[in-house]
Amino acid sequence: MSPAPDLSMFNRFMVTFRKGDIIFCEYEPGDTFYLIQSGRVQIVRIIGDIEKNIDILYPGEVFGEMAILEEAPRSATTIALDEVKALEFNRENFEVLMMGNPAIAMKLLKLFIKRIYDQKRRFMILTLGDMEARVADVFLMLAENQSIDTSAVDSIDFKTTVDDMAHWAGVPTAQTREALNHFVAQRRIELHPDRIVVKNINDFARFVNSRRKHQEK
Amino acid sequence: MSPKAVQYRANSIIYFKGDTSDRVYLLNSGKVSLNYIDIESGQEVHDLIKMGEFFGVKSGLGRYPREETAVVLQDSGVMAFTPAEFEQLAAKNTRIITKMLKVFSNQLRRIHRQVQTLLVSDAQENPETGLYKIGEYYLKNKRYGQALHAYKRYLVYYPSGSYAGDVTNKIVQAEEFVSRYGAGGPAAAASRPVPARRPEEPQEAPSGAPSGVPSGVPSGAPSGVPSGAPSEAALQEKTAELSDTAQAYYNAVSLVSQEKYLDAFKAFKKILEAGADQEYGAKAEFEMAKCLFHLKQYDNCVRSFSSIVQKYPKHPDMREALFFVARSYEEKGEGAKAGGLFKKIVTMAGEDDPIVRRARKALKAMEGGKA
Repeated sequence: MSPAPDLSMFNRFMVTFRKGDIIFCEYEPGDTFYLIQSGRVQIVRIIGDIEKNIDILYPGEVFGEMAILEEAPRSATTIALDEVKALEFNRENFEVLMMGNPAIAMKLLKLFIKRIYDQKRRFMILTLGDMEARVADVFLMLAENQSIDTSAVDSIDFKTTVDDMAHWAGVPTAQTREALNHFVAQRRIELHPDRIVVKNINDFARFVNSRRKHQEK
Repeated sequence: MSPKAVQYRANSIIYFKGDTSDRVYLLNSGKVSLNYIDIESGQEVHDLIKMGEFFGVKSGLGRYPREETAVVLQDSGVMAFTPAEFEQLAAKNTRIITKMLKVFSNQLRRIHRQVQTLLVSDAQENPETGLYKIGEYYLKNKRYGQALHAYKRYLVYYPSGSYAGDVTNKIVQAEEFVSRYGAGGPAAAASRPVPARRPEEPQEAPSGAPSGVPSGVPSGAPSGVPSGAPSEAALQEKTAELSDTAQAYYNAVSLVSQEKYLDAFKAFKKILEAGADQEYGAKAEFEMAKCLFHLKQYDNCVRSFSSIVQKYPKHPDMREALFFVARSYEEKGEGAKAGGLFKKIVTMAGEDDPIVRRARKALKAMEGGKA
């Protein structure tokens, strides 16, 4: 794909945010999505007393795309890290965009594919009844996301925290910590403030699979 | 580089669940079924592919393991595309992607809902409280610009919500602080998810930050919280200190957000006439003119804004003023005047802002009306 598609025909959809501006807030109803032209956008969620960085997006990336699906509340807050110029789209001008620029349409298509896959994967985690199996399955998911071939390695160093694990596992933080501590006691993982080392990822894969099979019966 | 035509015999398999391959298929002739287990019901599902339909798109383009087994029911002819070939085809036939986007967006919506139903433990915040808490977080962390934004959004959606009164007061605080100290810390850098909290500062809320999260910022950080930022205690004091005029002004703003325009107009008028504070007087005058528009007194609205614009030729909200004048003309049926003003608003914007967008939308609607 050409690195910089000519988007001048979309200039009328251009919006500018000043550095530090909130672009949209989590929980706000949303009907627009954005394609970054310049500047960086930070995606955060406020969980309790902490602002958690979810991601930082760069020019060429799309955010807020769930808005064209339904007017569900925004799932995160977005903040302009620099002066940000972005193309703003909504359900009405969405078709114009798609017709006018197949490259963007393709980008969005791939983004949807990734989102569907991520959600399905998450669903699979959440269907596990055993909380420890869920936490273990989150490790497997993280390994898949990093395209780690689990059959080739044993020990993996994950840049993740207990809160992250709790979020993905859909398990309260205290319970997640308990599960992780249990794994530590079993010498299956090492718990550090900013990372978790899984000693034998294949052991977790077997554990999760057996729980899943057991559940199917 | 062109897609490959492949013939399959009945009862053969095009791919198995779990296979990894980047091919995307198009069914030209015959009958193919996609067999998979529905993740929610656990039931086996057989999806029949129609002629002219693509399959294996998600796993092919996303390079994920196949989620279904593609079984050939009758002798079939399929085209196998590499991702590059598929993209080439789609670039020429945008309709293909648009159609797929619709299908995928439906799938995404469904799976998203399924996930949400399982997320019982992830305490589902109601959006109103959630939005309020975002404002609270940023105010507490002295990121006033962001607090202000969140609170204002709150009032837009929940003008008479359960936190509306509190939010109105907090907007007053936040605006005071923005004018005094600037917008506060800009968006935190990735390495600094939590803005500074001074150790000597009395902490109102328990610091629930787990050990792994950095809760401080180097004192020399250039873009951190301005050094003059008030402490939590001072914040309380300042609220008490806030001028009666400011308080009255924001009470009136709250009336506007509740669409009580007549009451709001009267409240603003009182502030203007009291003449206690020039800044709030000017703000009140501006808001009065807006109220007139909402009260459908278009001539008065135009007159008021004209006088404001004459008085303050460099008014920071000039575009908004013009917008309401234009809308008034439009309501009065003077389309030419309205159109001219909308165009002016659109051209005078150095940077895009909501008013410009609204002006464009209005222009577009007017043009649509003529056609």
